[in-house]
Amino acid sequence: MRKKIIFASAIAGGVVLTAAVAQQLPDQYKQLLELGMHPGYAYLDEGEDYFHNLKGPNGKTCASCHGQDASKLVGAYAHMPRYYKDIGKVADIDIRMLSCMTKYMGFPKSKDFIKKYTKKYRVPLATYVASKSNGMKIDVKLDDPQEKELYKYGEKLWWTRSGARDFSCGICHTVLSDKRIRQQALPNPVRDKLYKHWPTYRYSNDKMWTMEDRVRSCFKAFLLYVNKWDKKKDWIKKPPPYSKEVVAIELYMKHKGNGAIINVPGFIR
Amino acid sequence: MKKIVIAGAFAGLGLLVACQPAAQRAEAPKAEKKKLSAEEKFKIALFKNQDKWQKACSNPTQLVPEGIDIDTFKKEMLATVKYPEGGVMGDWKKGEKLFGDPRKQGKSLRGNCYACHCGDPTVIACGNIGPSLRGYAKRGKDPKETYIRIYNSWAQNPCSVMPRLGYHGVLKPQEIADIVAFLHDPSSPINK
Ligand code: HEC
Ligand code: HEC
Repeated sequence: MRKKIIFASAIAGGVVLTAAVAQQLPDQYKQLLELGMHPGYAYLDEGEDYFHNLKGPNGKTCASCHGQDASKLVGAYAHMPRYYKDIGKVADIDIRMLSCMTKYMGFPKSKDFIKKYTKKYRVPLATYVASKSNGMKIDVKLDDPQEKELYKYGEKLWWTRSGARDFSCGICHTVLSDKRIRQQALPNPVRDKLYKHWPTYRYSNDKMWTMEDRVRSCFKAFLLYVNKWDKKKDWIKKPPPYSKEVVAIELYMKHKGNGAIINVPGFIR
Repeated sequence: MKKIVIAGAFAGLGLLVACQPAAQRAEAPKAEKKKLSAEEKFKIALFKNQDKWQKACSNPTQLVPEGIDIDTFKKEMLATVKYPEGGVMGDWKKGEKLFGDPRKQGKSLRGNCYACHCGDPTVIACGNIGPSLRGYAKRGKDPKETYIRIYNSWAQNPCSVMPRLGYHGVLKPQEIADIVAFLHDPSSPINK
């Protein structure tokens, strides 16, 4: 609810809509956008607030390390996911921020805190930090051996046909892209470098999503269940958040998006 | 004893394993007693449960099997097809709901055929991934071929994007026969 009220904050860059989105867009959203109001900016504002005011148990905020207005994070998102020496692995934005909070701000690595981070802080903060790379090109390098290996794994996952539908990411988003599954057009995130508008606001469920959310949901919704058909029991859960599989697919898609201009928060169906 | 432990810990492997010849079943990983993490379970679903035909289709073409020649592939897939006792033409009224209930805008969690195919002309929310099936009866197809297509599309078209609905147990043989009747019966709405 709070989101709805505060999204009156003005937008600077404006919203670039694809023709398809513009066509299907419900009227109330058209009017909002014409007035320069983008619901994703409520998340951005909330993230900015956390960035400066959310104190860890040791008194540090994000701004303590990364500067007022995240001045030291300009361009950081353009290179993610990437290998980080301090945590010894390849991280996407969701994992990177969580590591900062537990490692440097004194938050516990407990289930409870991770849950709170996932539900409350993660998306607004990711939106804010990502927006600091707006106008810059996606530039994911594969310099580190761990990055190279994870990229290969991501590419393999993209083509892996599995589950009771015999689907893969590639079936829907490469082979069938531009076709309709029911009424829904299938996007092509690789060819069209769609990573540029993530994190993105989805008006179909009135929420801001990071790419973690998107990848995990696509897996769950379309790909897998085990055992005999039983709709309650047998849909396999999504890959868990922050898992290697999710980061690998992100790395694959974002590297394919190199060169595209980042424009966050996006706005899609 | 060992067998029981394996069966328990890998209950998830269930159907796919049951469909595979014994030689492949033996390759199932030895289960330890520890509880699997969510990520391990996910990887089992994705990779361990993947059958050899899915593996053959997991290359960047996605639609041409690698490592199995097309004829062998089709033959092996055809051998998985099980038929209902009462023949391949069931009850079209039951088939209609499985295909996608027109009273629920064609939705169905089972067949979900409208996701990819148009059918009953009154259901307009249909996908364009597969060919339209409107007026299917007039095409003079053999109902047995239709049955095989739905049970295991890879018996006719290896690596097709059409899921192998009978093979995976999403639809039971009798249910597929009901859908076949929905497609072939001249009085079914799809043929009006
Ligand atoms: C059976 C179809 C299907 C499969 C399989 C599938 N997706 Fe999707 N995906 C969709 C649909 C439909 C949408 C658009 C959803 C919407 O607009 O509400 C989508 C949206 C997306 C988007 C957002 C594109 C944009 O507009 O920015 C990404 C990224 C994505 N999927 C990645 C994946 C990945 C990664 C996988 C594999 C793990 C995958 N998808 C598997 C159907 C699928
Ligand atoms: C994800 C997509 C998808 C789903 C779901 C799907 N199909 Fe198909 N179907 C296809 C495609 C693609 C073809 C084209 C031939 C091929 O590749 O096998 C096809 C072909 C067919 C054909 C042969 C048509 C002809 O002209 O020979 C029939 C019959 C058929 N499907 C019936 C069904 C039924 C019944 C269901 C649901 C129980 C269903 N399909 C679900 C994608 C799908």
